[in-house]
Amino acid sequence: MLNAIKNVKVHLLVLALVAVSEAVGILKFSIGPGMLVLLPMLYAVMIGVFLGPKFLKIVSDKDMNHASALVSLTLMLLMARYGTLVGPKFFEILKAGPALILQEFGNIGTIFIGIPIAMFLGLKRESVGAAHSIAREPNVALIGDIYGLDSAEGRGVMGVYICGTVFGTIFFGLAASFLSILNWFHPYALAMASGVGSASMMTATVGSLSAIYPEMAEKIQAFGVASNTLSGLDGVYMSMLIALPMSNRLYSFLYRIKFGTTQEVLTNE
Amino acid sequence: MNKITESAIVLVIVAAITLLGNWIGYGYTLVEALPGMAVLVSICILGVLANKFIYNLPTVLYVITFGMIITMPGVPGNALFAGWVSKVNFLALTTPILAYAGVGIGKDLPALKRTGWRIVVVSLFVMTGTYVASAAIAHVVLKMLGEI
Repeated sequence: MLNAIKNVKVHLLVLALVAVSEAVGILKFSIGPGMLVLLPMLYAVMIGVFLGPKFLKIVSDKDMNHASALVSLTLMLLMARYGTLVGPKFFEILKAGPALILQEFGNIGTIFIGIPIAMFLGLKRESVGAAHSIAREPNVALIGDIYGLDSAEGRGVMGVYICGTVFGTIFFGLAASFLSILNWFHPYALAMASGVGSASMMTATVGSLSAIYPEMAEKIQAFGVASNTLSGLDGVYMSMLIALPMSNRLYSFLYRIKFGTTQEVLTNE
Repeated sequence: MNKITESAIVLVIVAAITLLGNWIGYGYTLVEALPGMAVLVSICILGVLANKFIYNLPTVLYVITFGMIITMPGVPGNALFAGWVSKVNFLALTTPILAYAGVGIGKDLPALKRTGWRIVVVSLFVMTGTYVASAAIAHVVLKMLGEI
């Protein structure tokens, strides 16, 4: 950690990225009834990737490791700000409590879409690891505990975890925009759904939504944070007691349909 | 150097970067935003201290709770604190984080290549599935509660 702090180059690069991204500012494009929103944080992450050894080669492996090591601490300031978003709306959030709690079950939605798709693409036990949840840190830990991370299930969960890390923010920021264009769900519902257990995904969603609906921004932010905190508390139990058993059942069921036999012994790789 | 000093140094560096972004992007001058940023940094340091000296709960939990308590209706000084931190735009806080993450992401790209394109497709559906299903449930329940 100490070496990471002393890496002045990383801090200066971040300073430059922030200055450039904020100078460009929030870009909004009207599409039909809604709006597509691009936030400075998206430019910062994308330019950041291009500085890497694959493209511009400005940052070295050492710099990348140092930058990653600092991310969890930089998140703290945002978390403090999040607390101050929830505080003033505390009693309003209590009133919407049932919606906040029940929407957590929506996380199971990933199973019914993810597992059939994964199996259709030819994945086997990887499907269960990959699609039992949105694969954030607690889910990775759970799969690691039950199957081991070098198992097929472990490869699945790690794959989705890595994709989420790389594309998650961009994906959620854009998904919130696109869903608002469709006008199916109320912005508060879109805000609550953003709490999937990843602060950056939630932030991207809530950020886009508050740029699209400035008059509802405070409540949108408070709902997003409350929902994400709740996911952090119940996420592991949800995965362990409900989502993972359901994934295994659905997997066996689809396996019988696809291959006409019951699933082979799990060790058969 | 111990963990608490290290955390404090990083927080101050990030706070400084954020203040600049907050000025360029959202028009709050450094002087305007400084009290709010000082409050946020203090909350974080208190969180780190609480994690070490009170009970080993995740620091994030302490930090969110402290932020919530000082701005809750009925708590002395709540309006003052809420007013100060409102000068620090929450999007301004996200840009530095994603900048650090972006600089670091290159390190995950080889792992992504190994997992293959099928997992990339699956993960897009997984993210969509979670988000759309949760939004649908939230929408229906909020309607039933009469909140929307």
